[in-house]
Amino acid sequence: MIPNVGATFRWPVTAIALVVLCGSSVFAQVSYQRLLNAEKEPQNWLTYAGSYKSHRYSPLTQINRQNAGQLKLAWAYQMQRPGVVETSPIVVDGVMYLTEPPNSTVTALDTRSGRTLWTYTPNIPPDVIVIGSPPVNRGVAILDDFVYVGTVHGHLIALDARSGVVRWDTTVEDNKHGFYLTLSPLALDGKIIVGVSGAETGIRGFVDAYDAKTGKLVWRTYTIPAPGEQGSETWGKGDGWKTGGGSTWLTGSFDPELNLLYWATGNPAPDWNADNRPGDNLYTDSVLALDPATGKVKWHFQFTPEDVHDWDANETLVLFDAPVNGRERKLIAQANRNGFYYVLDRATGEYLASAPYVKQTWADGIDAKGRPMRKKGIAPSLEGTMVAPNIQGASNWFSPSYSPQTKLFYQAAREMATIYYKGDAVYKPGTAFTGGGGRAVNGDVASGAVRALDATTGKMKWEFPLLSPGWTSLLSTGGGLLFGGTEEGNFFVLDAESGKPLWDIQLGGAVRGIPMSYSVDGKQYIAIAAGVTLYVFST
Amino acid sequence: MLGFLIRLLGIVLLVAIGFPRASAAQSTADVQAGKVLFGHLCVTCHGFEGTGGAGPPLNRAKLTNAPDDAALRTIIADGIPNRGMPRVRRTLEAEQRQLAAYVRSLGRTAKSATRGSAQKGSELYAKLNCASCHIVKGQGGTLGPELTDIGVQRGPQYLRQALVEPAATFPNSTLGVQGPGYTEFLPVRVVMKDGAEVRGIRLNEDLFTIQLRDQSGRFHSIRKSNAELIRKETGVSLMPSVAGRASDAELDDLVAYLSSLGGAQ
Repeated sequence: MIPNVGATFRWPVTAIALVVLCGSSVFAQVSYQRLLNAEKEPQNWLTYAGSYKSHRYSPLTQINRQNAGQLKLAWAYQMQRPGVVETSPIVVDGVMYLTEPPNSTVTALDTRSGRTLWTYTPNIPPDVIVIGSPPVNRGVAILDDFVYVGTVHGHLIALDARSGVVRWDTTVEDNKHGFYLTLSPLALDGKIIVGVSGAETGIRGFVDAYDAKTGKLVWRTYTIPAPGEQGSETWGKGDGWKTGGGSTWLTGSFDPELNLLYWATGNPAPDWNADNRPGDNLYTDSVLALDPATGKVKWHFQFTPEDVHDWDANETLVLFDAPVNGRERKLIAQANRNGFYYVLDRATGEYLASAPYVKQTWADGIDAKGRPMRKKGIAPSLEGTMVAPNIQGASNWFSPSYSPQTKLFYQAAREMATIYYKGDAVYKPGTAFTGGGGRAVNGDVASGAVRALDATTGKMKWEFPLLSPGWTSLLSTGGGLLFGGTEEGNFFVLDAESGKPLWDIQLGGAVRGIPMSYSVDGKQYIAIAAGVTLYVFST
Repeated sequence: MLGFLIRLLGIVLLVAIGFPRASAAQSTADVQAGKVLFGHLCVTCHGFEGTGGAGPPLNRAKLTNAPDDAALRTIIADGIPNRGMPRVRRTLEAEQRQLAAYVRSLGRTAKSATRGSAQKGSELYAKLNCASCHIVKGQGGTLGPELTDIGVQRGPQYLRQALVEPAATFPNSTLGVQGPGYTEFLPVRVVMKDGAEVRGIRLNEDLFTIQLRDQSGRFHSIRKSNAELIRKETGVSLMPSVAGRASDAELDDLVAYLSSLGGAQ
């Protein structure tokens, strides 16, 4: 039927009226250009860490030092199944997309009410192999009108952003061999970048780029060179490289001007027994600068050569520009799991500075080239060797924050030691290949802190002590605030300049979610998951 | 008749194959290897030769949480979440078998009997008024830990030390009220900004608040920012030492009584 002119004329008027009356959201495609300029639309949160620079900083100012004490609950959302919630929601034009454990569920919520718009759960087999972490998921990526999720059974799935219906489903690598995905994918221009978990089963790690429209593999870059390739000499003469780990389990960062994709890598395998992998074990515990078109490694920097403590270097890579010795530099910084904060030149990989940000007992310091000066007697042993940082590290997956306003790098630090044990390791696909482990030295003798570091030097400006070593991610805002949480269920706001607490609330479950901020209908909100509930606050 | 005999033979064979004697399944080599592993990974909590310490004694034929070898291997592999038994490290299947073999061997060896008389110890327990602070089988006070199953949970050496030096043997949190490893029954003294003072044992704590129970059993909820002083009295126990109030022989009797609780001995 051909509609009459009157009908086609009247319909948009009605639609506009509904928009005004109901506060509805008009779906618009999230183009690569929008992702590039994410900072220009602070009402949204378009990528895992808020922008390609991974600052986890919201420029929104409506919630600020003056009114933070009046924060109150706007709405809450209960996850559908029990599990450890480590999600960082993204928000696009009034719709929130978040992930839920343990089956890599994706849910779209109305950001005004918290009501579900759609939800999707992939078919995760009951015998899924997840060794090395709980079956968590840290969030989705969005590009154009597709939402992307990595799953615990080793798939990358594209969903229709309006309906949650599957557009394509690609197997990244066989879960029977221990590969699984927990990270939020990173969307670039027509490509979706993912890494994998699984070093605890002896995988050979890699970074993959997939065609965003079709799910076809564009390139794969292994984090462990094969014999004959540069760096292969750091694995000894055996086959250790084949099962050498080097997972890539957290989202990378991207500099569109330098056209470099930064991706960090995890521990060598077996974690606590280096007998079959003598050498530095490149490129484990490193940052790789990759050409996003080809995956070619442009430069690398290794934080912990020949690691025997499971100190993955997967922590978030933060990009910022600042003067170093009077010269403006493009920098990349990371608070590493090994207890040191590092600053590199992100164009070249040149090591510029480091400083310990926790008590550590394994190194006498970092030399002029950035290599740790390892103490003797720190290796895991049959009877146990006590070393700090602890087995989960001074930091881990949880997000730091960088505020362009204060020029501070905010990091939750874990002050804790572990008794590290060495054991035998036998490789059998899809089973633990760790060669030991560790016993935590926890309770009243461990602690934590939120530390504000001078971003270019790592020197501490202030700290806010925590009762225990937590897993809290941090969010800084244009309102001069810093949000964080505790293992005991507190969610709090600090003055980002001074660290002074301004407000707190008990949420009834460990705060493992990753905070973010958005605005809808001109009102700013802060979202954080604790226990199995997502809480959203406003003033 | 022939059919019956064949079936009977089958059953006999099944029993012989399916239910091997413990000594056959657990070779001497496994027990020896398990002993070495036990010394590295388990002795800190379970004591030498499994006589117990901060963790339960294992030198008994029946283990509460490990009725069979499969259950024991699972506990060794995974720990007991929220019950204070960690997975010290990942272990290979062979190591789990060896550790299980050694632990089972402890239950077959003659264990050192507690020297005292449980009956006399029970009388002394009443005389010393231990029940004013401890519950046994539903009877008693709530200031200290419940002792109903203490003989299963702790070894005699630990119990003796707890009686003589209570502050040296604080239990660590295992039930998840606080995170693992936190000292339970920790005395805390709080002076509020208005001068009011509270002393009690810590029940829970977060970054901004602390919850206490005082000697009268009353709960106190304290916002830390309202307190002038919060002193955690690490190394102090509210329990009076038995030393000086009981002879060595009486101490043996008390240990024997406590060891009998939970049907351990």
